[in-house]
Amino acid sequence: MAQVPSSNILIRKLQTISELAEPDIAILGNARIEEKQYQANADILRDGDQPTLSFVVLDGMIGSTKMTGDGKRQITSFFVPGDIPDLHGLHLSVMDCTFTALMPSRVGFMRHDALRSICDQHPSITTVFWRSTLVDAAIYREWVTNVGRRDAYTRMAHILCELIVRLRAVGRIEDHVARLPITQAALGDALGLSTVHVNRVLQDLRRDGLISTVGSHFHATDWSGLVRAGDFDGMYLHQRAADVLRQ
Amino acid sequence: MARYFFDSSVRDELIKDDEGIECDGIEEACREGMDGLRDLALEFFKDPDGQQLAIYVRDEAGERLLSLSITLQGS
Repeated sequence: MAQVPSSNILIRKLQTISELAEPDIAILGNARIEEKQYQANADILRDGDQPTLSFVVLDGMIGSTKMTGDGKRQITSFFVPGDIPDLHGLHLSVMDCTFTALMPSRVGFMRHDALRSICDQHPSITTVFWRSTLVDAAIYREWVTNVGRRDAYTRMAHILCELIVRLRAVGRIEDHVARLPITQAALGDALGLSTVHVNRVLQDLRRDGLISTVGSHFHATDWSGLVRAGDFDGMYLHQRAADVLRQ
Repeated sequence: MARYFFDSSVRDELIKDDEGIECDGIEEACREGMDGLRDLALEFFKDPDGQQLAIYVRDEAGERLLSLSITLQGS
């Protein structure tokens, strides 16, 4: 069976937010990527590390996480296949957060010197990478708003909408069913909620007919209802196919 | 470690937890329950109608081990 190059998902993700010219696709397609598998809860990079590589998510889901002084964890963003969570590491040499696999995940490492050389020779790729980190920053802004100002029910609905839209955009899910084998404790850490309340809110969403769950499969059974409940407007994802957000 | 279940009650409507959380003993279960009660109370502060909000902690055998509650009085 032919091996699918790990750069495919990276190219697909970048195409959701930018137009990529054929020569740039070829350059990215030839980029050297070293794959590595991680178990759930394994750290890929830690706060304080000085990496010489950046990674693209190939399968699974990664969280950027920060710890408070008294040991509480906040997940500050999710990263899905195609994302390069630590692309900023190319310019900010010391990691200011930890990247943790939230489910069994496969990632692909790219050397910083190779990425720098691509950027030096192909300004259009530099622009696309820049745009990608800007979209990541927009997602962080939305998360601050979500955790800081929305109530628990809206917060949960919002994060489920975001995940479904992002996973659909890179072709990882069809319709509105997402396999999300992440723990309720991790959802709580992403939403600033206790695990007990995450459980209750998921039950509320089910009771209201917005989602159904079978094992780790989340099905948005009433997509427009979930979008309303989540106060979700996907504009902040800055995807080119804006219609994806409203399907 | 053991699995504890956290049912929540608002206006006498009980929502049963069938997932549970692994806790290292009853003290940790109590802390998890209190965190849950705090989040539950936050939701109902905008509508303090004197109702009691409660979290009941059960063990795997179904026995109720703890009743945690708070009443939000608006007048």
